[in-house]
Amino acid sequence: MDTAPQSNSQIANPYSSKDAAVRAELSEIDASIRSSALFFTVSAIFWLLAGTVFALITAYKAHEPAFMADGAWSTFGRMRSAHLNAMALGWGNNIIFAIGLWIMARLCRAPIRHGGMLTIAGIFWNVGLTIGIGGIIAGDITSVEWLEIPHYATPLLAISYALIGVWGIVAFKFRKGEHVYVSQWYILAALFWFPWLYVIAQVMIIWFPARGVVQSVTNWWFAHNVLGLWLTPMALATAYYLIPKVLGRPIYSYYLSVLGFWALAIFYNWAGVHHLIGGPIPVWLISAGIVASVMMVIPVIVVGLNHHMSVVGLHKEVWRSPTLRFTVFGAISYTLVSLIGSSMAVRSVNEITHFTDFTVGHAHHGVYAFFSMIMFGGVYYMMPRLLKREWPSATLIKLHFWGSAVGISVMLFALHVTGWIQGLEMNNPDISMLEVVQNSMPWLKARTVSGVLLSFAHVAFAVNFFWMLFAAGAVRAKQGPTLLDSSSKEGAA
Amino acid sequence: MDVDSYIDLMPIILLGVVFFISAIAMLYWSSKRGQLRNFDDQASTIFTEEEPEGEISDSFPSKY
Repeated sequence: MDTAPQSNSQIANPYSSKDAAVRAELSEIDASIRSSALFFTVSAIFWLLAGTVFALITAYKAHEPAFMADGAWSTFGRMRSAHLNAMALGWGNNIIFAIGLWIMARLCRAPIRHGGMLTIAGIFWNVGLTIGIGGIIAGDITSVEWLEIPHYATPLLAISYALIGVWGIVAFKFRKGEHVYVSQWYILAALFWFPWLYVIAQVMIIWFPARGVVQSVTNWWFAHNVLGLWLTPMALATAYYLIPKVLGRPIYSYYLSVLGFWALAIFYNWAGVHHLIGGPIPVWLISAGIVASVMMVIPVIVVGLNHHMSVVGLHKEVWRSPTLRFTVFGAISYTLVSLIGSSMAVRSVNEITHFTDFTVGHAHHGVYAFFSMIMFGGVYYMMPRLLKREWPSATLIKLHFWGSAVGISVMLFALHVTGWIQGLEMNNPDISMLEVVQNSMPWLKARTVSGVLLSFAHVAFAVNFFWMLFAAGAVRAKQGPTLLDSSSKEGAA
Repeated sequence: MDVDSYIDLMPIILLGVVFFISAIAMLYWSSKRGQLRNFDDQASTIFTEEEPEGEISDSFPSKY
């Protein structure tokens, strides 16, 4: 049988075909996924606000431990874990399900099938998460970081994942055209990776717990891969879609984008063990993790170079676009956080940063400055296309951007500096732990201030979102894009 | 699961190997299906008649 591959250039591209019967209109695709995407986005914003409240309580308690200390439910450990799960699984996953699947549907060039499956998955996900976070606050928290949700809630989450994974495969199978754009690679891979990570971690840690250090290895294999093989590919998929799409210019080098994807796919899975440097596990295993962490410099440089070259000469347009202002901030953060992460895996650096707030700052750098900022950009691009109306207020978008950008910058500076100081001081036997904690106080207070700024930003985002969703006649009638440049007359508030 | 020896780490190591092999298998599949050719053409496939190349598209899509 002749199975010689057909070149993509020889294949008709139904996405831009003149024939309406061949081509599925984007608006038709958008309409087909509207209900599910809106459900996930609304859920994500509620969790973002809830997670912000938990974060403020946690940050304040870090330097004022007597605050809300009367009940067990509001202790630091429970609030901190409620914050992590609300943000990572509530905000993060819901917004991934909204934007990632919307991009997937658009790139598959066909109206979605079985949209009800997505809605059911969304209900399962949010009910399971509500029970899980309620369980954490009630005291049923597990002792495993990133897997704190009690076991009675996880089956609902697993069912939800399974439905979404099946939907992704079905969407891909019934796509029009042969070509697979790089964003689809990232999304498909992430849909495949995450359920695997989650199920294996649940089985080996919660349901049939491995003993001893195997649990720790599994824990950090899972936790680090949640960032690298779930949040990262989804955010990069979004950036690779939005940057060329908004600018109307193809990505600078498609070759580099493919190289970046495969380098991530091959190296990242090994990197999580660097969290256990100095721990009682085989040295060669840690060394393998360190090598993989440093090898991650390749996809990071590739992606950073590609994004940068794609916007060269169009910086005004980037600044003017709500979508790209957030997305490019996130893309720059990806380069920075990844390079810092690779350096943190080097033993001599890790000896200082381990067990300090440097790691906390690094996590926020990745999940907020990189992932969340790109997803905010995705929401600003997706919503006008789903609702067929514009954002009501450019001012609220600016408040959101500056609150987020300044807030997260202050937080990162404070946590990285205090983390480094903590590391140096803890390695000095002449300095007591009490002194280390006292020296951290000003920086922890700065973190709380940054949290207040982020809270303002999230409220501005939520108000603008629901104003748009339940828009009055004036908002519905608004013409032209909501741009952020003051010289623009097109619909700018 | 006992941790009497490093053999008990095998499930984790095998998972890493399976991940690695699956990545290589996907790379092979994409190569066979022509996904790694004509990169310049492929970069333009996200543009459509509604959202064409050369136009800034962070704007209200008037074709709806």
